[in-house]
Amino acid sequence: MSGFLELAISGLMSGLVIGLAALALTLVFGVARFANAATGDFMTCGAYAALAGFTATGSIVLGGLVGLAAGALVGVLSYLLVFRVLEGRPSVSALLASIGVGFVIRAVLGLIYGHGQQVFQLPLVRPWRVYDLRIQPNDLKIGIAALATLAVVFLILHATPMGRRMRAVADDPMLARVSGIAPRKVMLGLWAMGGAVAALAGVLLGIKTVVSPEMGWEMLIPVFAAAVLGGIGHPVGAVVAGVLLGVLQEIATPYVGFTYKLALAFVVLLIVLLVRPKGLFGRVEGVR
Amino acid sequence: MDAYLIAIAIIGAIYVLLALGLNLQYGLTGIVNFGHVGFFCVGAYTTAILSTHSLSMLITFPLAALFAMLAAWPLGLASIRLREDYFAIVSLGFSEVVRLVVTSERWLTQGVQGIPGIPKMFGMLSGTTQALAVLGLLVLLNLLAVAAMVRIVRSPFGRMIEAIRDNEEAVKALGKDPAGFKIQVLVLGAGLAGIAGAIYAHYIGYISPDQFVPLMTFQVWMAIIMGGVGRISGALVGALLLMVFLEGSRFLRDLMPFISEVAMASVRLGVVGLALVLFTMYRPQGLMGDFTRK
Repeated sequence: MSGFLELAISGLMSGLVIGLAALALTLVFGVARFANAATGDFMTCGAYAALAGFTATGSIVLGGLVGLAAGALVGVLSYLLVFRVLEGRPSVSALLASIGVGFVIRAVLGLIYGHGQQVFQLPLVRPWRVYDLRIQPNDLKIGIAALATLAVVFLILHATPMGRRMRAVADDPMLARVSGIAPRKVMLGLWAMGGAVAALAGVLLGIKTVVSPEMGWEMLIPVFAAAVLGGIGHPVGAVVAGVLLGVLQEIATPYVGFTYKLALAFVVLLIVLLVRPKGLFGRVEGVR
Repeated sequence: MDAYLIAIAIIGAIYVLLALGLNLQYGLTGIVNFGHVGFFCVGAYTTAILSTHSLSMLITFPLAALFAMLAAWPLGLASIRLREDYFAIVSLGFSEVVRLVVTSERWLTQGVQGIPGIPKMFGMLSGTTQALAVLGLLVLLNLLAVAAMVRIVRSPFGRMIEAIRDNEEAVKALGKDPAGFKIQVLVLGAGLAGIAGAIYAHYIGYISPDQFVPLMTFQVWMAIIMGGVGRISGALVGALLLMVFLEGSRFLRDLMPFISEVAMASVRLGVVGLALVLFTMYRPQGLMGDFTRK
């Protein structure tokens, strides 16, 4: 029983990471209307930047901030250089370009850092024991960091003028424009936020596991599954679905084996798309 | 040098076969298939497993195509109900799951070790003659595929799938059901990829899961986008450019050996990515496309 609970807790933590990345995917999708396949590589970018920051300063918090900044920068740059040009084209063009952007990011990281795995050299900590449960303090900190990020994102979305504009554009771009909202600024803010959130997910994933150029790309299917399960374009849904998916993956591991974790995410994705394409929380998309 | 050129031509012709299939799916019908390598993989493993258990290639080749087509069937069912970009991610996931299965099911596929000693085609010949025979077979298959494509484009079937690509809703409004057509196109393209995989497996003689990564799918995408989507000449020109690039990067490494193989792999990845970005941005109609239209 305690083993089961430990798996569930571990799943909760990796689920929060998936949820964060799905949030980044869904934020951009809500406004730009395409699935940004480079989200995973934004994560990787964040992880490497954080690793560099951590090595330079010795502080994991500072490292995380460096990662965050790098993610925001990559998000904004890819919008300015690529996706802004593709606005108004079919979503397939943007999707294909986002695959390309992801490849370029991975190629650059691979050239700089090689393809080996790197780790955050954090001191080993003895796990806490609560009754029969072993809890890794690091896992707990990762969970808290993820929750704090989520809180900040939701505060920005719901309690700032910028956030209100973002939601307005996501809801109805035309109406937002005639109401005097400049879509460009909103897009910039959104890509920065999407990049930063994805990067943070990457940092947390890197701390929990290892950092490699492929780490984010390999998360694409679970992240996309979580975004779809949550109802694409729905921020709360993305996080809840991410957590659900993370827990499901972990507690299923003893039954399906370690390697089929990804296949599980794929099956969830397929079932949701076929049975309930609007996801758990989504509304039926209006005709535009 | 002759042997080298023939080897490049063989790999190039395999890519042309893949590109023709993808062009049928995306260029003519608008199905965004990001999992092409999955069908290639199914074809390669089918023939590898069966022929190393001493089944004749005359049987394993059709089976390779058949299994690839069978793998495409459920995906085709999904394609009817999904928006095109959702289907793209699903098909990408499908090809990754195929790779997971061949990595994990060691009893069948020998896992990461891969399957060595796949018999050569035209085993009675040797050396250059044998390679030429393989190339001849590929050219024959490509000609057949091109002939089929030309016929498809000019048939009612072709007009229907192009109508589906251009406006699926209008097709539905006219009382035609696009579903069957999309499934057929996906299955046909997968069959071509399966045959391409089978030839690849017998030509290389050794297959392992890491030969079937998504990068390969996107190399084919790069080929058809550079060449010109929806055009048969585009598939040919694109595959040719792809080969020039892949082989050119190898030459570059021979000339500048201080670039490590790992670094070169990153460069290849980056160039494929850059080509996808730049062509979708600035030349979506490809090199062979209509120059007056943008």
